[in-house]
Amino acid sequence: NQNGSAVKKFKRFESYKRDNQFPPRVRDLAIVMDKHNQTIVLPIMGRPVPFHIQTIKNASKSDEGDFSYLRINFLSPGQGVGRKDDQPFEDATAHFVRSLTFRSHEGDRFQNIANEISNMKKEAVKKEQEKKELED
Amino acid sequence: MARESFDNIFLDLSKQSGKCRFAENGFAWKVSGGSETFTVEAGTIAGSQWSRAAKGYEVKVYLRNSDMVQLDGFAQEDFERLSKLFKNFYSMNLEHKEHAIRGWNWGKGEFGKAELAFNVQNRPAFEIPYSEITNTNLAGKNEVAVEFSLPANGDDTGTNGSLGGAREKGKKSGAGMDQLVEMRFYIPGVTTKKEALEGEDA
Repeated sequence: NQNGSAVKKFKRFESYKRDNQFPPRVRDLAIVMDKHNQTIVLPIMGRPVPFHIQTIKNASKSDEGDFSYLRINFLSPGQGVGRKDDQPFEDATAHFVRSLTFRSHEGDRFQNIANEISNMKKEAVKKEQEKKELED
Repeated sequence: MARESFDNIFLDLSKQSGKCRFAENGFAWKVSGGSETFTVEAGTIAGSQWSRAAKGYEVKVYLRNSDMVQLDGFAQEDFERLSKLFKNFYSMNLEHKEHAIRGWNWGKGEFGKAELAFNVQNRPAFEIPYSEITNTNLAGKNEVAVEFSLPANGDDTGTNGSLGGAREKGKKSGAGMDQLVEMRFYIPGVTTKKEALEGEDA
């Protein structure tokens, strides 16, 4: 039964299938929100690195001196949150990226990104619940 | 002598693009309209990789001294030409390295010669050159924090503003509009046996 096994396994979400699907703005080495693909693309050492909204726990912005900081927390084991079916917690040897912190001089933009992440997250959770209700 | 050149190429996350020339004795990069040239001799090249990067496609050249050179901005169609020239000029494969783009945050951190790769299903999601790490610490149980070196001034590239703002070692995170400061990993415990023992101690 296709549904049964899908429920047992974590959701195999996928940001991109091909490397030409990145939004063009990744060339600025800036954080790019890609709502269409439910993904946030982060610049890491010159490379655009996608993270699906399903991997994200939350994001927060803070200010210190001349810079604003954006910290993105990801779901990982041992946090006491996150539904077990979301991630392959059964692979006990997996490493997780738990958080990434970026800085910039544009505090407003970081605040917008933090807000957008939580909105995107809320929508994803809502969609997931609606799906589950339909399945039940 | 045979030469191959490419325009609009970015050297080591440089601000400005330039021309990149490959020849049998090595390769060179010069910012558009600039005078200073960055060169790498063929004998110092240890390996090369082709992957998707920020400006376009990237040729990453690993050097014998564990250093590396990043050349970004190639077109997808350039692969064949580059692959041929690496074979002809340097007798080596330009390895097509596909990155993980599924958007997952779990995988395996693996230590290479020059960089730490985070692999998702055996494909790197990203790489961290060791030269860009200033500090690491155990931030909590099963949590490792990695701090990146960031120039106090974003314009500090280590190349005194020459070479179109190409970035030397320890300056790469500063290239971004958004600059990576810190990364934390969850690393699972060694064995359950050990945890049980620790529990007894407490």
